[in-house]
Amino acid sequence: MPGHLKENDQTLWSKFLHGNEQVLSLIYLRHANALFDYGCKMTPDRDLVKDSIQDIFCTLIKNRQNLSGTDNIRLYLFKALKRKLVREIQKSHRLQNVDSESAAAFDLAFLHSFDHTEIELNERQKQELVDAVESLTDRQKEAIYLRFTRGLDYKEISMIMNLNYQSSRALIHRAIAKLRDILSVKSDVFNQTLLILLLRKSKPVV
Amino acid sequence: MNKYKNYTPEDFLADDYFIQWLNDPSEEHEEFWKAFVEEFPEQKVNVEQAKFIVSMFQHEQEKLSLDETYDIWNGVLRNAKRPRVRKLVRMLRYAAVLLLMFASGALAFYLYENSRELHYNLTELNEAGSNEAKIILSDGSEVSLEQKESAITYASSGNQLIINNDTISQNQMDGREYMNKVIIPYGKKTMITLSDGTKVWLNAGSQLVYPSVFLRKKREVMLIGEAYFDVAKNVEKPFIVRTSDMNVQVLGTRFDVSAYPEDDFVAAILEEGSVGLEIKGNSLMTQDRQILLTPNQKLSLNKESRETTVRMVDVSMYTSWKEGILKSESEDLNRLIKKIERYYNIHITLKDPLVGGYKISGKLDLEKSPEEVLNIIKLTVPIDWAKKSNGDFIVMKK
Repeated sequence: MPGHLKENDQTLWSKFLHGNEQVLSLIYLRHANALFDYGCKMTPDRDLVKDSIQDIFCTLIKNRQNLSGTDNIRLYLFKALKRKLVREIQKSHRLQNVDSESAAAFDLAFLHSFDHTEIELNERQKQELVDAVESLTDRQKEAIYLRFTRGLDYKEISMIMNLNYQSSRALIHRAIAKLRDILSVKSDVFNQTLLILLLRKSKPVV
Repeated sequence: MNKYKNYTPEDFLADDYFIQWLNDPSEEHEEFWKAFVEEFPEQKVNVEQAKFIVSMFQHEQEKLSLDETYDIWNGVLRNAKRPRVRKLVRMLRYAAVLLLMFASGALAFYLYENSRELHYNLTELNEAGSNEAKIILSDGSEVSLEQKESAITYASSGNQLIINNDTISQNQMDGREYMNKVIIPYGKKTMITLSDGTKVWLNAGSQLVYPSVFLRKKREVMLIGEAYFDVAKNVEKPFIVRTSDMNVQVLGTRFDVSAYPEDDFVAAILEEGSVGLEIKGNSLMTQDRQILLTPNQKLSLNKESRETTVRMVDVSMYTSWKEGILKSESEDLNRLIKKIERYYNIHITLKDPLVGGYKISGKLDLEKSPEEVLNIIKLTVPIDWAKKSNGDFIVMKK
């Protein structure tokens, strides 16, 4: 979230609390896609995610008088969506007699194409990276998603995931270490590729 | 900067400033990290590795389509206005599904139609960075409109549109409205011919959302900013322009609507025919008001006080922008400057608040450069202007 938007979020929120309900649509538009993407990582049921987002904003309007000021609407919305989705998923699992503990598995589909990187990887390296990410725990996946895809800081992540600050750092660190391990086995290849890349780049244009 | 000298990729990834750079780079970030790699070239490998790991997770994201975005919000508004009814409707909907299984689908269809009534209460900011004129199709794909003045024309079936000279086809299932959206930044404008033949001139800094084909009982579009409408007559299907603060309903007529988020007023000017205006209450709970306009009338609504004024005007003053001419009749310099800023996508600062109150009458040809336009204004009121090195203009008292 850009710094200037964050400030803006704050003023929007206080306008909303002071009775200007129109600004809620701005807040909605600004965060709808991020919320939707986050929700879709927890359940394949797109309609459930959409309904949940709708309910969150309905609740905001209904409970406006009892809401307190926040300087971080995004955090507030992410927390609300997660709480809502976990509850809904548990409910449906109970109906289907599925073990409710395994509710809200975090399914992090990640970049499989590797097209956006300057680094050239061979097929085996790619496969290993895919395997590495697949082998992360759900909580690690969620933490990684919040940090790298959504760009949240550790304090925000710990609040969404109900962890203390240190644990959220450790969770992500362990996940990265795992990825780096796999990269490091290939680190010679990896670094050589980079080196070649760098050399090629620094060569003067003739 | 020295702090990062011995960082491993893990350390970089644990650093909030580093993550900020990759997720939402500002100029400051770019400069810092460029300078860092230049000063510590041996760290480039670690930076690249860290960047690579982040990039693995910046994949294509799930996106709501325009339809879905508006459907969710309409649901929120319906719920806010009639909290109790919603549950009932939901139950009735279930009941209707059951009924459908046994008897006829008429009730279900009725309820479905009703629940899909559109409420485009969405106001949007012209966020910085959306400086590109573009059309967003219902599947989320974007086509940029490169010319300063572009033309968009829909076939009556709605599944084909012509942008300038290119034809684009949209895959659409029958019986469903697909929303399209046009965004015009400051400094540009466009003309859209909708599938029903209605012509819309969209002014600089404006957005229009509309279905590619009108299938509902009403033809509804949503406007942010200013547009001039020449609505194709259809007595059966009223045409409604929704803005943040009021809705304009017509059967077939010509009028201008101005609803810029940055202005403290919204206005509707009627050229021909008749229009009904629905002024929205300040909160979602308050009642809406209805006002009828007759030709050559202008209604303006103060967004804060919710006061409305209706008066007779020379319509051409308000619609000549579509021919590239700004007409004004004892208009505040303040407002005129704002229009000029939008049209040329420039910044003009008034040095002296008094200057903003000067009344301007006359005609400005917007084909001319902003410098020439300011010189013409200079002839009528005692002002002078200067251009800063960053391209911004300053207007001051002479």
